[in-house]
Amino acid sequence: MAGVVLETLSNKKLLILSFSLAIILTVFFLIGGIVAPSPNSVMDTLTVKCYDKDNGWHLNNMKPFTPRGKDSCKYIDSFNDEEIELKKIDANEIVFSQLLPLPKEGIDLDMSRWFQNLIAVMDVNVEYDEDNPYPENNKPEMLIEAKLFYRDKEDDESDWKLLAESSEQRTLDCTIEPERRRKGNLYTCELISLFELGSVHYDYYLINIRLPIDPRNTMNRIGKLADMHVIAIFQNGGFTKVWFSMKTVLFPMVLVVLVWFWRRVQTQGRSTNLTERTIFALGIILSIMNCPIEWLTLAVNMPYMMLLNDIRDGAFYAMLLSFWIIFVGEHMMDQVDRNRLMAYWKHLTVVILGCLALFIFEMCERGRQLVNPFFSIWSSEIGGAAAFGFIITAGIAACIYFLFLCYLVFRVFRNISLKRTSLLHMSTLRRKYYSGLIFRFKFLMIVTLLCAALTVIFFIIGQLSEGQWKWGDIDVSLEYTSAFLTGVYGMWNVYVIAILCLYAPSHKKFTTETDDTDTNSREEEVQLTQLPSEASTLTSFITKQSAD
Amino acid sequence: MHLMVTLCLMLLTTDVCSQKSTKVKAPKGTKWWSLAKAGEPSNDLRSPLTKHNNNPSLEPLTKRQRKLVTKNPGSIVAVESGAKMAIQECKHQFKNRRWNCPTNFDGHGNSIFGKIIQKGCRESAFIYAITSAAVAHSVSRSCAEGGISTCTCDTEPHDRPAGRDWEWSGCSDNAKFGHAFSRKFVDILEKGRDFRYMTNLHNNEAGRVHVSSGLRRDCKCHGMSGSCAVKTCWMSLTSFREVGNSLKDRFDGATRILPGNDGLKAEEENSGNGRGSKKRKLSFTPANPNHKHPGKRDLVYFEDSPSFCEKDQGLGHNGTTGRECNGTSIGIDGCDLMCCGRGYRTEEYVARERCQCQFHWCCDVICKVCTVNKTRHMCL
Repeated sequence: MAGVVLETLSNKKLLILSFSLAIILTVFFLIGGIVAPSPNSVMDTLTVKCYDKDNGWHLNNMKPFTPRGKDSCKYIDSFNDEEIELKKIDANEIVFSQLLPLPKEGIDLDMSRWFQNLIAVMDVNVEYDEDNPYPENNKPEMLIEAKLFYRDKEDDESDWKLLAESSEQRTLDCTIEPERRRKGNLYTCELISLFELGSVHYDYYLINIRLPIDPRNTMNRIGKLADMHVIAIFQNGGFTKVWFSMKTVLFPMVLVVLVWFWRRVQTQGRSTNLTERTIFALGIILSIMNCPIEWLTLAVNMPYMMLLNDIRDGAFYAMLLSFWIIFVGEHMMDQVDRNRLMAYWKHLTVVILGCLALFIFEMCERGRQLVNPFFSIWSSEIGGAAAFGFIITAGIAACIYFLFLCYLVFRVFRNISLKRTSLLHMSTLRRKYYSGLIFRFKFLMIVTLLCAALTVIFFIIGQLSEGQWKWGDIDVSLEYTSAFLTGVYGMWNVYVIAILCLYAPSHKKFTTETDDTDTNSREEEVQLTQLPSEASTLTSFITKQSAD
Repeated sequence: MHLMVTLCLMLLTTDVCSQKSTKVKAPKGTKWWSLAKAGEPSNDLRSPLTKHNNNPSLEPLTKRQRKLVTKNPGSIVAVESGAKMAIQECKHQFKNRRWNCPTNFDGHGNSIFGKIIQKGCRESAFIYAITSAAVAHSVSRSCAEGGISTCTCDTEPHDRPAGRDWEWSGCSDNAKFGHAFSRKFVDILEKGRDFRYMTNLHNNEAGRVHVSSGLRRDCKCHGMSGSCAVKTCWMSLTSFREVGNSLKDRFDGATRILPGNDGLKAEEENSGNGRGSKKRKLSFTPANPNHKHPGKRDLVYFEDSPSFCEKDQGLGHNGTTGRECNGTSIGIDGCDLMCCGRGYRTEEYVARERCQCQFHWCCDVICKVCTVNKTRHMCL
């Protein structure tokens, strides 16, 4: 009887393999936890209130306002200054400006291409003021005119080039506790997303924001503004380096195993079956995800990298979900011949539907951000509803999928228990065939559940903990979020590698099984040829034998 | 000898060991408060930050403060605005009390808060705390603004091996630098080892702790498709008003401590077990044994406050004569308490006020002028 490697592997070898995979997994986890820094850094910056004396912005004068350096703008310390009244400074003449990164340790820092992405949010500090109240009963609309400039180190200090500009509408949502309603206290406001960049290709970024007031509409009637913070979040260079190295190591590893697997399938001298094709597809999609094309970002400006990575991740998870359905279906052990993709159309439609919803959402948000980094689908009412709709669709699809999967697994277990009782009365070949099937299925079930459980547990711990763990007094601290990311990434890689290795067709038993087959009756062989997909190796073997 | 060593350890940040500590009753270093008056008459739009290094207003600083400020370009601006902030906040918090935080720029190098700071009363405790807090707050703010280029970059709460630089793990937390700077800058002046010195140190630190502990935590989710799989959090400063509010609460609940207990005993114990040599941990015994020991956020004092009813030239307080009071309140701003029972006169007057104003988020107030009849009560 021919099966997969898993069945022919001795317990000792299986143990060694599991053990080494577990070690690899631990290594991934520790690399993330000890070597890598936290995945992201934050720069909490306070914008400088530049005074646009000549109303240059309004006149579409492209001159950017820089908070410091050679051509820095004239600025106001606070909106409480008397000079505001003295000089009759208008809200339209204020430009909030900040230059990223901030100088630290006396060094003029610059952004690195290793940072990969840059997300900026606005923290608007609104003061409680009875004379100039924040409209608490209706959330005020904000009109944000924003410009983003960039400059490289070699460039002249005033040579700012425009990266993006936009007028965006956002809703400001602030609250204050009744007991804190005293002049000068700050409202607690929701953060407002400003922009997202998919690549950090340049050295310096300059943000200019204006909140225009127009007497004809109610835009930017937000009460008394004290300060505006722009918080920049970017991926840490150290994390990127660890992540890239991981991908670079994993990519050829998976590729080698994948090639080995496919050659093993090809040398069986029969047509491939659905499970094999699915496993192969899983391997290919994993390799696409692993492929470290991110290295190119260090040389080429690839703002679509973030989108591409999300799509690659999404494709992998979609494939993984499809794989589970197909694998469980192919191990159903009823007399239905599936072995075709069409047999699973119901289940796969659900997966595709869910993924499509997420994909469209992703394209609307991040895809649109390629054109306009300031875009946010959530800022408009229709966009927000649509985005919510997509996410709900994906959520429903996920639920239906889960029910499908549970139902299939339940049926397999019912069939297993049915087969168990009749297993003893079967002939050796039949028994071996079924027990092999059961073993394979149970093994994958356990491993999959373990991986899924670990992912969920790690995720929950990550949400609960503060992202940093310390072990005792020794100076070993664990960067938990990084460990979670590298650990989970490594885990699904190891999972696929294990499946590729263990579920590759085995050719070991060809020699040993010959003793068994002689006891089989002709009748049974006929029966077995009609067995579903998984038996195809077996069938081909038997037909070959009988032909002999 | 042991005492000296402990003292030196306590003053580690100020490395006062290298100098013989001179006994200064009136802390000369508090002169930096007068920075608040810099540019007071016409608060012109200031020149770019880079020019602030050679700001001439370094005069009221001690030598070591000057060194610190020169080492951190831009910090003098922050200190200056901190001093202003502190005075403003003090005046705001005490506007309804007999002692209304009077300031006086006499230009003779006297403390702008008057001689009250030489006393050990609640008011002086508050002044020390609020000024120290203001420097911490203002410097942190300036770091976030990019006004000080030497703010520290330590990213982790623990020491990471060297080479984990900006590119590797980024920079964060401006508040820590503000705290450290304020400690170096403000505590530097308090030379000496008497009880008053210890009290002032404690109150300085209490002010700073209110800034550091008043940080607000914000988070942003930015995982795959914006999910919360990856969440980044940071601490942001609250407004200085909040710091003022909480310090005012501590003022009301300040602990009176027993003089003679200079906190050194606790320090000796502390350094005895090998720890705490870097930390100045002061411990005072409350005057009322039923009260608990003052914590690091509590203000401490050891002298009763004057009544502030009569004019006291020595303290630089004008008394409450002529102060406006609230005719209906029974609190400290009410006429009975405010006027110290001397009575008050009531007058009606016509005021021209701005009304029906139209505000924008920052400025540009379009108002009408209304005339209203008003009543006010003034202490006799």
